[in-house]
Amino acid sequence: MTKLKTKGLTRRFMGLVAVNNVSFTMDEGEILGIIGPNGAGKTTFINLVSGIIMPSEGKIEYKGRDITYLPAHERARMGIARTYQLIHPLENLSLIENVMVGSIFARGNGLKAARAKSTELCGELGLKDLDRDTSRLTILEIKKMEIARALANEPEVLFLDEVMAGLNADETKDLIATVQKIAKERKLAVGVVEHVMGVIRELTHRVIVLEAGELIAEGPYEEVSKNPRVVEAYLGGAA
Amino acid sequence: MNRNLARILAVVAGVLAVTLPALVGAYPLQVARNIMMYMALAITWDMLLRSGQISFGIAGLFGLGAYASILGVLRGGMPSWLSIPFAAIFSGAAAFLIGLAILRLRSTYFSIVTMALGEIFRIVIHNLHDFTGGPEGVVLQGVILGGDAGKLYWLTLAGLAVALGASFWFEKSKFHFALTAIRNNETSAKSSGVNIFNWLLLTFVITSAIQGMLGGIFVQSYGFATPDTVFSADFTLLPLAIALLGGIHSTVGPILGAILLGLAAEWLKLQIPYGHLIVYGIIIIIVILFMPQGLLGLARKTVRAADRRKP
Repeated sequence: MTKLKTKGLTRRFMGLVAVNNVSFTMDEGEILGIIGPNGAGKTTFINLVSGIIMPSEGKIEYKGRDITYLPAHERARMGIARTYQLIHPLENLSLIENVMVGSIFARGNGLKAARAKSTELCGELGLKDLDRDTSRLTILEIKKMEIARALANEPEVLFLDEVMAGLNADETKDLIATVQKIAKERKLAVGVVEHVMGVIRELTHRVIVLEAGELIAEGPYEEVSKNPRVVEAYLGGAA
Repeated sequence: MNRNLARILAVVAGVLAVTLPALVGAYPLQVARNIMMYMALAITWDMLLRSGQISFGIAGLFGLGAYASILGVLRGGMPSWLSIPFAAIFSGAAAFLIGLAILRLRSTYFSIVTMALGEIFRIVIHNLHDFTGGPEGVVLQGVILGGDAGKLYWLTLAGLAVALGASFWFEKSKFHFALTAIRNNETSAKSSGVNIFNWLLLTFVITSAIQGMLGGIFVQSYGFATPDTVFSADFTLLPLAIALLGGIHSTVGPILGAILLGLAAEWLKLQIPYGHLIVYGIIIIIVILFMPQGLLGLARKTVRAADRRKP
């Protein structure tokens, strides 16, 4: 079942076309890789579908409903969640309170219910000692907290923007397994932006490739990685 | 243990605050009323600050409430007690309309606009001579509660109690999560489903309504209002200094700050008339430079450092 769909999605910043005429779909239970060289428009694309910025042209549909100009907080409530490339733990809130924010505002839970649900969620992700200040967390714990915070929205579509960045090999393995597990159990549609191709190969069912804002290839990773246009985009015209 | 101690302290302070008129004379009561008034304003300023918005509009909404109250009595024939909730509603409603327009602004832009607001209210009231009494202001026939020092003290204490109650409620409810999330990062707050504009508007209306109510209590206690007294910059700057000194983003900080700065000001007034204003300025500078988290932050840091030294 198609969860999220864009048609001709375009975003211009002054003269620069950051995302250009991108049409794609994301299905239930699918882990989709979003790859491309630096500056290809991956994060802008996620910002567009999560409502952080509005498109210049095109259309976004979520479960058949037009959400093109819906504000971000409403999309969060409908079931679109995301993490951020630059992590923003909320200072002055403990680990558990950070996670509760999504449960309180995206789901409308009371504080008690939100705490109970968030505690369960943190347990599922292997987070412990939940009353700790966020300044005391390891990078892996912060990344997991960010995922927990997004999951607290109880989303159907989840975007992970470079959650593996900064982790070592063991931690990456741990987080890949975690993401696979939660995606499967919840039948989530997951969009993953990553620079480490090993992660993409391991984690995703399908990838889309962006270059200079345009979608240049689409398909399983093994296939796409051999596509001459993709190789050229990554290595430059000389290759 | 720590929490129990805090509770005992709070109960003692509460009992002391309520029974003060039986213990001391008129002058200390007057000082206490002043301290409580500024404490309440500092708390309301901090409540909005918890969202990251720095308002310089306290005097504006305080003065607006003051005029709403006094004109409600003089021109509207309201009983003086009723004019106080009326002042709250008036300032709250004004804040709602203003908030719709200005709460899209952030940081310095928001601050500057709120500063201008107070000035606009002052000038309008200054010039609506026939209705507001113009620059000479207006005088009530009599002071509320017959001007009894003890009762006036309790009235101000009640005003403070409203501010304290609202602030503790903010700390214990969804407001805490919403405002902290907004202050930390608006983008990520949105992604967690926080309707930023609505929470800011609600907070601005609530804090402004309390400021208006305090303005009402102020004029009913003194029996007169002029644009220069009720829109005085003191009502903006002193609460700011108090909250900064005590420690922002908390209820306890402004309480501490108000008591310290209030008592210091009384003492300084006797030592160097008008010099206390210079001292306020110096305190603000020192606090911002050397302890941006205020006394409360300093205390927390000390406790944490002591914790770490323990094996």
